[in-house]
Amino acid sequence: MSYNVSEEWYYYLRGRELILYQLLGGSSNTRISQSGVLRSRGTELMYPNENIEDGLRVEYTSLNEPFVAEALETTTAYGSGINISFANSGARISTAIANFWDTTSGFVVGDKIRVQGSTSNDGDYTIDSFGGGSNVNMVVSGSTVTDEAAGERITVTQIPKEVVSASVSETSHPNVNQGLCLAVVDYVKAMKAEAEGDLTTKEYYIKEFYSKLGDNEGNKRKISMSFPSAPYAVR
Amino acid sequence: MTVLEIMERAGLKETNLSVAWVKDAIHLIQSSSKQKIKSRKQDIIKSVGSDDNVYIMPPDMIALESISIKDTSDGKYKKIKRIINQPSYLTEDTSP
Repeated sequence: MSYNVSEEWYYYLRGRELILYQLLGGSSNTRISQSGVLRSRGTELMYPNENIEDGLRVEYTSLNEPFVAEALETTTAYGSGINISFANSGARISTAIANFWDTTSGFVVGDKIRVQGSTSNDGDYTIDSFGGGSNVNMVVSGSTVTDEAAGERITVTQIPKEVVSASVSETSHPNVNQGLCLAVVDYVKAMKAEAEGDLTTKEYYIKEFYSKLGDNEGNKRKISMSFPSAPYAVR
Repeated sequence: MTVLEIMERAGLKETNLSVAWVKDAIHLIQSSSKQKIKSRKQDIIKSVGSDDNVYIMPPDMIALESISIKDTSDGKYKKIKRIINQPSYLTEDTSP
């Protein structure tokens, strides 16, 4: 059993490979046998000495879902409540409130949604239809729906719907916000200028591209800087 | 903003070329500002041979965000630290 992994496991990057090491003499619930002698030299490392199912998790960025069906700014449908239940039969997500899904929350057929907070139905789904009296049922596909009674605080949020590579067209949207779309425009202008041999214009637009990336990152950080002024400073 | 709007703003008429450049731009955005994070899990195996501690990075990776190991005592993934140099006492690593 692995304990204290944040202090006793290490990785080393070698090209496209990840090499794992574990601290020799680290935490373990394995009893040292009478005949065995544990030889440890301070910070000596060893190879991982146990099997862990899904034990290694790599978090990274990739070019996944580069195009979506609608602009990010319009994927705003959202519903939440403690009266949301799930039924495997008919793949339904239901509520007791009339027109909760379509009118109150703003979902439409074809939207991709993410369910969070449920006991066994967290995941991403696509809305196939609404049904029942006053559209209290939402029929979904994409993941298996497990029977679950109401009770938990559950949120249903619209998420961007991917357009697969083969179907990308002029009506598809880049999967970035409006600010970054403007940066994309600058990048495309830069590439066009490069293709035309105008390197000065290319450099200008590439600079604009990275400037907008910086602005977008800056918008997420609320940093204020203040400097005390000296008593006789010119103001 | 649709691909068509981007094309009109940039004065382009070739759709396929525009889509390719938009992808390149998103690639650069993902490389520097990390808009959308993805994760991949794989099993850790008990090392019995020389390469058993070597794992392949995701082939579609643009930028690495973090590496975590499952702490089986509480079932949580915890970030681990990177070592800058491979252990220096090894000249050829042939034994776990």
